[in-house]
Amino acid sequence: MKWTRFSSTAAVYVVLVLGALFTLGPFLLSILTAFKTREQFAQEPALSWPDPFTLDNFALLLTGPAQFGRAIVVTILAAVLILVGQLICSILAAYAFARVDFPGRQVLFWVYLSTLMIPPVVLVIPLYLMMTEAGLRNSFWSLVLPFAFASPYAIFLLREYFRGIPQELIDAARLDGANTLDVLVEIVVPLSRPIIATVTLITIVSNWNSFMWPLVVTTGSEWRVVTVATASLQSQFNGNWTLVMAATTLALVPLLLLFLLFQRSFVRSITISGSA
Amino acid sequence: MRSRGRLRRRSAITGYALLAPSLFGVVCFLLLPVLVVLWLSFQSWDLIGPITFVGLDNYQSVLSDGVFGNSLLVTLIFVALVVPIQTLIGLGAATLLTRGLPGSAWFRTIYVLPWICAPLALGVVWKWILAPTDGALNTLLGQRVEWLSDPALALPAVAAVVIWTNVGYVTLFFMAGLLNIPGQILEAARIDGAGAVKMFWHIKLPLLRPTMFFVLVTTVISAFQVFDQVYALTQGGPARSTDVVAARIYYEAFDAFDLGRAAVMAVVLLVILVVITLAQQFYFRRRVTYEMD
Repeated sequence: MKWTRFSSTAAVYVVLVLGALFTLGPFLLSILTAFKTREQFAQEPALSWPDPFTLDNFALLLTGPAQFGRAIVVTILAAVLILVGQLICSILAAYAFARVDFPGRQVLFWVYLSTLMIPPVVLVIPLYLMMTEAGLRNSFWSLVLPFAFASPYAIFLLREYFRGIPQELIDAARLDGANTLDVLVEIVVPLSRPIIATVTLITIVSNWNSFMWPLVVTTGSEWRVVTVATASLQSQFNGNWTLVMAATTLALVPLLLLFLLFQRSFVRSITISGSA
Repeated sequence: MRSRGRLRRRSAITGYALLAPSLFGVVCFLLLPVLVVLWLSFQSWDLIGPITFVGLDNYQSVLSDGVFGNSLLVTLIFVALVVPIQTLIGLGAATLLTRGLPGSAWFRTIYVLPWICAPLALGVVWKWILAPTDGALNTLLGQRVEWLSDPALALPAVAAVVIWTNVGYVTLFFMAGLLNIPGQILEAARIDGAGAVKMFWHIKLPLLRPTMFFVLVTTVISAFQVFDQVYALTQGGPARSTDVVAARIYYEAFDAFDLGRAAVMAVVLLVILVVITLAQQFYFRRRVTYEMD
């Protein structure tokens, strides 16, 4: 009995470890290859340790014609602006839906929720036409504007949370003469840190990873984001895998680090949509 | 009485003021585009010239040639490959990870890593791994397999990469679902002499139905829209064998410069996904009311 229990536990671990290796393999391959010379890449198996260890691929990527450094800056700036815009707009809207009484509240909330059904792929073509008409195609603002005002999903998550804040706290502040903005800044936001952290992570991840819209709306290297730069590098230097893997490593590692730092918030932010 | 009316009016003004910025975004960048794409589906536009009205021509052209039909079929096969396999693997992984073994949290973290990373970047990494001559997989196997350029292998290969990306996400939900099953129920079944297999089939699986349902719906909807991995791995080829709907819309618009046709395809995709979502809502409501009886 004891022996079968031990051996079944061992079998479980074997399966789990194999799964983990299979999951981590591509990440390891990308990172190892990024630090290799082209000669070593051509001669040795993919899983060999980089020897000599070189930073040439990254140097070429950041300083060369690929302009990867610029792409990183553009991506971060766009993500930060979208994040700030979305947080402000979503917190205001979520508070209105959760705690302010106004005619049409239910209908408008239903309209917001129904937009969650619209697949992003469908929006790309009309948004492209709109950005062209507005003269904003291939500009920094075309990356930011369509996403900076509202995220119905974030509004939904925040509203659920705001509804759990005790009304007495808000009423007490009101008696002390606080207006709606004071209530938001001094009570609602400080009490909602966990959900705001969740929304922040979701927004950063989805913007760092976003690909189709930036691919469509930008041309050339000026306003390229990291994913688009990686894709064009692949078609441009097809076969120069050490360089391409340096690009994928730069695209992947920031999120891996973010994930390891905020692991618990991340896992919660993924499963939170399960209750939605 | 008058002051109550004033209060209500003030509250309405506050509400609309708070809502204004997000409403601007929802109207301009979500609702208006849906109208624009519908309008564009009746026009002809090549990105450069003027936009002209062509009536139902785009619909006729899209529905009569086999290109879009092929894309729908490819997408359906893709969904049919990805969703069941990743659900099974995710369910298996979740069962192993909820046995209370030390280190389970670490494995969970590792498994979910691909899901939070850029699908495009991971697609590019896999493009190299699956490359015919210097790819990691073929070097390991010691033979040349045309994973991405053989029309029979390309779609399963893309599906495999997407499954690899999604398994951790599915696992997380099944873990949450399994951990939510009340301990007394499992204890009672154990006392009644249920073995591990019986326990899984007759107790755990039925209780996981809401989780299962949620996972299936969200993954079907997201698999219908797959683009990044296809763009990185095959660009829709070879011989249109991986030409999923989202990729077709993109190439129709920005490669063939036929925005009208692309708009028609976008409208069809929108209708399909809205129908799936509404059917799920309807089914879910009905099922819940049955359970209330």
